[in-house]
Amino acid sequence: MNKYIFHVSGTHCASCKILIEDVLMDSTSSPQDEQSFIKNVRVDLKKETVQIETDSDQSIEELATVLTNKIKGNGYTLSVVRQDLTTGGEDIIWQALPIGLVFLVLFFILQKSGILNLGIGGQTTPAISFIIGLIASVSSCLAIVGGLVLSLSAKISQDNVSDTKTFILFHFGRLFSFALLGGVLGLVGNAIGINFTFTAILGILASIVMLFLGLNLVGVFTKNKITLHSGIFQKVSSVFRKIEHKTLTPLVIGFATFFLPCGFTQSMQVAALSSGSFVSGLSIMLAFALGTLPMLALLSFGSASFAHGRHAPLFFKSAGVVVLGLGLFAFLAGLAGLGIINPLFSI
Amino acid sequence: MNKIALIIITLGLVFVLGFIFFGGSNTTSVQNVEIKDGVQYVSIDAKGGYFPRVSKAKAGVPTKLIMKTTGTFDCSAALVIQSLNYQKILPQDGETEIDIGIKKIGENLQGLCSMGMYNFVIEFL
Repeated sequence: MNKYIFHVSGTHCASCKILIEDVLMDSTSSPQDEQSFIKNVRVDLKKETVQIETDSDQSIEELATVLTNKIKGNGYTLSVVRQDLTTGGEDIIWQALPIGLVFLVLFFILQKSGILNLGIGGQTTPAISFIIGLIASVSSCLAIVGGLVLSLSAKISQDNVSDTKTFILFHFGRLFSFALLGGVLGLVGNAIGINFTFTAILGILASIVMLFLGLNLVGVFTKNKITLHSGIFQKVSSVFRKIEHKTLTPLVIGFATFFLPCGFTQSMQVAALSSGSFVSGLSIMLAFALGTLPMLALLSFGSASFAHGRHAPLFFKSAGVVVLGLGLFAFLAGLAGLGIINPLFSI
Repeated sequence: MNKIALIIITLGLVFVLGFIFFGGSNTTSVQNVEIKDGVQYVSIDAKGGYFPRVSKAKAGVPTKLIMKTTGTFDCSAALVIQSLNYQKILPQDGETEIDIGIKKIGENLQGLCSMGMYNFVIEFL
C-alpha cells in the first residue's frame, strides 16, 4: 500500500471535497474499472491537496494523469507539483500590481485630460447617441459599468463556467433593456423619475460587488479558504456561485446596467424622454448601448481569452487590482454623491 | 523578475495616482460672481466637471446659481445639491437657474454630479 499526495486546483467550495472524494471513490465500487485500486481518498481544502492510498505500481505522475481525467469534467486538476496559481502567488502579485496600476493611471489621466469632453451639440439623433455611447464606454462610467463587467467576466472565466454563453446573454440583456426602456421612456414622455438616490445606491452596491470580486481575483481570500467559507462570506460567495450558474442572471445584470449611475446614460434617458415616441426613444437608447458595446465586449471576451491562456494567473491578479481601484473609486464617489461623506477628490 | 524593481515601480504609480486625485487642482479664480439689481448670480460651467471648482460669493445677499451647459452629456449634467434637496439632469445646452436663497457667512454650498466624482463649492464670505 502506497500513499500519495497530489496538489489539487479548482477547489473553490466546501462541497468540492465531497465531490472529489465521491468521484474518486466511486471508481473503487466497480471492480472492472481501472481505478479500483484506490483504497482511500482524503481531500484537504486548506492545503489544496488530495491524499490517496493505493496498491498500484504506477508512478505518481501517471496516477496524477489518470485521476485528473476522472475529475477534469468537474473543473479540478491534480498535479504532482503545485501549479502557478498557488506557488507563483507571492511573486505574481508584485507583477500584477504595477500592471493594474498602469491601467488605472492611464484611465484617470484620460479622464483628467478633457479629451472626452467633445463638443457635441444639437439634436440627439441615433447617430449622435451612438458616438456618445463610444465616448461613454471609455469615460468615468467605465469605472462602474466596465469595472463590473471586468470583475464578473474574470470571475466567471476563473470558475470555468461556460463563459461565452454568459457574456452573450449579458450583452444581449443590456442591449434589449436599453432599447425597451428607451422606448418606454419615449412613450411615457414624462419623468417616471429615475431617482438619483436609487441609482446612487445601486452604484454603491455595484462597487461593493467589485471590491469583493477584486479581492477574490487578487487572491486575498484563497489563503484562508476555510475561514472564508464559514460565516458571512460563505453566504455571499454561495450567492455569487448561484448567480453565475443561472441563465437568467446575466440577462438580469445586463438589464440592471440601465439604472447604474452614469451621467451619459442619464443624459440619454432624458433625451429619450423628450423624444416623444416609442420608436425614437428606443432608437436613441439602442444606439447608445450599441456605442458602448465594443469596449464592454472587449472587456468580457478579452478576459475570457486571457483566462484560458498561459498568463491566466497574472491576468486574474492584474484584473483584480484594476477592479479594486475602480471599485474603491466608485464606492467613495458614490458615498459622496449620496451626501454621506464629503467628496475626497474631483478628477 | 526583480521584485524590488517592481515594488519601486508600484510605489511610483501609487504616487502618480495620488497626484491625479489630490494634487494639481487648478484653483484659478475666475470672475464668475456678479450682483445685478440686488441679486447675486454665481455662474458655473458644467462640462467634464465643474468650473470653477471653488467660488467665493457674498453672504447675506439673495443668490442665484446659474449652471451653464454646452453639449454636456457626461456626469456633470446630472446635478445634485444635497443641501437644497436639488436633483436635476441639466439640458445639454443652455443655462439653468437655481435659487439658493440667502446664505450666512461661513456657509458653503456644495454641488456634485450624481456619481460623485465631480464637485464644486461656493463659499459665502
